[in-house]
Amino acid sequence: MSPLNTLLTALRGISSNALRTALTTLGIVIGVASVIATLALGNGARAAVNANFRFLGSDQIQIDQDLQLKNGQMQAVGKTLTYEDGLGMASVVPLVDRAEMTVSGSAKLRYSRQTVDLTFQGTDAGALLTVISQGQVQPVGWPSNKALTPKDFIGQGRFFTDAEVLDGDAVCVLGYQTALDLFEGDNPIGQTVWVNRKSCQVIGVAAELEAVSVENRINTRPNEGLFMPVSFAIQNLFDTEPWVTIIAHVTDESKMEQAKAEIATYLRQRHDITQGPDGNYADDFHMTTKQDVLGAQQQSAATFSLLLTALAVVSLVVGGIGIMNVMLVSVSERTREIGVRMAVGARSRDVVAQFLLEAVLLSAGGGLLGIAMGVLTIPIAASLNQGIALLDPNSVPLAFGVSLITGLVFGLYPALRAAQLDPIEALRYE
Amino acid sequence: MKIIQTENLTRTYVVGNSTVNALRGVNLDVEVGEFVALMGPSGSGKSTMMHLLGCLDTPSAGRYLLEERDVSTLTKDQRAAVRNNRIGFVFQTFNLLPRLNALENVVLPLLYGRNGGDMNQRASEALERVGLTSRAQHRPNELSGGERQRVTIARALVTNPALILADEPTGNLDSKTGAEIMRLLVELCAEGHTILMVTHDAKVAAHAGRILQMQDGEIVNGRPASVAA
Repeated sequence: MSPLNTLLTALRGISSNALRTALTTLGIVIGVASVIATLALGNGARAAVNANFRFLGSDQIQIDQDLQLKNGQMQAVGKTLTYEDGLGMASVVPLVDRAEMTVSGSAKLRYSRQTVDLTFQGTDAGALLTVISQGQVQPVGWPSNKALTPKDFIGQGRFFTDAEVLDGDAVCVLGYQTALDLFEGDNPIGQTVWVNRKSCQVIGVAAELEAVSVENRINTRPNEGLFMPVSFAIQNLFDTEPWVTIIAHVTDESKMEQAKAEIATYLRQRHDITQGPDGNYADDFHMTTKQDVLGAQQQSAATFSLLLTALAVVSLVVGGIGIMNVMLVSVSERTREIGVRMAVGARSRDVVAQFLLEAVLLSAGGGLLGIAMGVLTIPIAASLNQGIALLDPNSVPLAFGVSLITGLVFGLYPALRAAQLDPIEALRYE
Repeated sequence: MKIIQTENLTRTYVVGNSTVNALRGVNLDVEVGEFVALMGPSGSGKSTMMHLLGCLDTPSAGRYLLEERDVSTLTKDQRAAVRNNRIGFVFQTFNLLPRLNALENVVLPLLYGRNGGDMNQRASEALERVGLTSRAQHRPNELSGGERQRVTIARALVTNPALILADEPTGNLDSKTGAEIMRLLVELCAEGHTILMVTHDAKVAAHAGRILQMQDGEIVNGRPASVAA
């Protein structure tokens, strides 16, 4: 029988009992829908992780203070990670050629009678280079193929210099929006502003910036902020010595693990951390590289896909058995039809093809319904999961393929049973 | 040319631990264009004979030549191909597929063969031959018994087979309708078709050119119908 006629025959076969057919595919529908929805959750989580850690360059190690919650406040564990820790790092640790220290905190910024509450950033003079390497923000409307230099981020005036950072000079650079809010159109350059109770001279205003990725533009505010030398911030804006975040720039990207070991040795020495009886160090800091983040993410993705695979296998086996069951019933109900078809010349492969195709059509129909249902449930899944769910485009062909294979596997036995019928017996069947 | 030639055709079944000899070495020749009726009480071997001649079954011993070709040793699929284009079946219970209309039922054998061209056209011609053109789009449950049997005959004719096997073709019909069906079969025979019919009704068998009596798995007599009547 020609493929077209086989298809028409199979379609007729499954359409003859529409309700039973629809109920049969329910297992496949639910299985495929849950695969689509759960893959979307995993994909959304992956995208969220990517968005949050994209800032770390692949040659950078971020060193953070270990913190613990005490009396309702986050407090440093052990010794504080200080500006001086970072200052000596590049000269002592061979694989580190530059260490960049940052602190941040909240402050009240005042000029004349205007005040603005904001988060300040204490950085070194190379902060804009780091901003460029992180690739998160750019001047508004910047062409994607055009390289950025630090001065592209400055709208008016200038950024502070290494000398000003070393001296802890009272200078600052305002975010574009912050300058507008505070000066209401007046020229801020050279004016003195008050940060908490310390005076500080405005030497520059940032250009108007935007997030590079379109989807991040809504939830980031790159134009509100205050940049000042990290040394000035540490000396003047904290009651006690603040912990800093150190970004160590490694000379050789292939030796990140070695660089981490060297940094650990250096910091342990400075913080008087000795090896414990169990051979471990009670470090008061931790280091993160892009590779660490990716590794952790890949591991959670692997766990996730294992769970998913289990879910998919269980629901598809249940769906497949449903299809096998209905096909066996169908073969038995249509024994006489099979006998007639054999009498007028249907060969074994014609009968196998007809019933196998019916099973595959059933499961494929269920698969399509399941894909539609899965896609429709993504917004619901997202609302239950902090908005994190994103359709994985690969999941659609995957789920469809799996539903086809389920039909083939579970349809094979009933089809073979049909083909093995004896035409004489089948014709006598009541 | 001989359409059917059997040599010592034997069929035994094993039921439990006893052996049933359904056919005991039957020798039968049927010429082109003959109309042969096979009669006999139940258990005489008519049905077994019919199944063997229809290539639905294979003999335990002996040979069966259809159109001078030995078909007794063919594989299952080869027999399906022989049934498809050399044999047409007419059943007592019609055996039409209930979800297909008359035309689709008649097309069915063509779908399973290597048939190019317009299969619906051939099926329409077969329906026209049995006088059912106007009922082509009706399903079997919308047709009378006689009309159903005509559809079955059209389905048997559509592949232009060497042999038409009719198994109690009037068994489910009233006598008037049965007579019409017999008239149709006689006409088809006159047009050159070879027909072998199984029946236990002597009046029906009387339409045949030759009547064979079967008993205990053997043909006990073979004589022209005119002599029997």
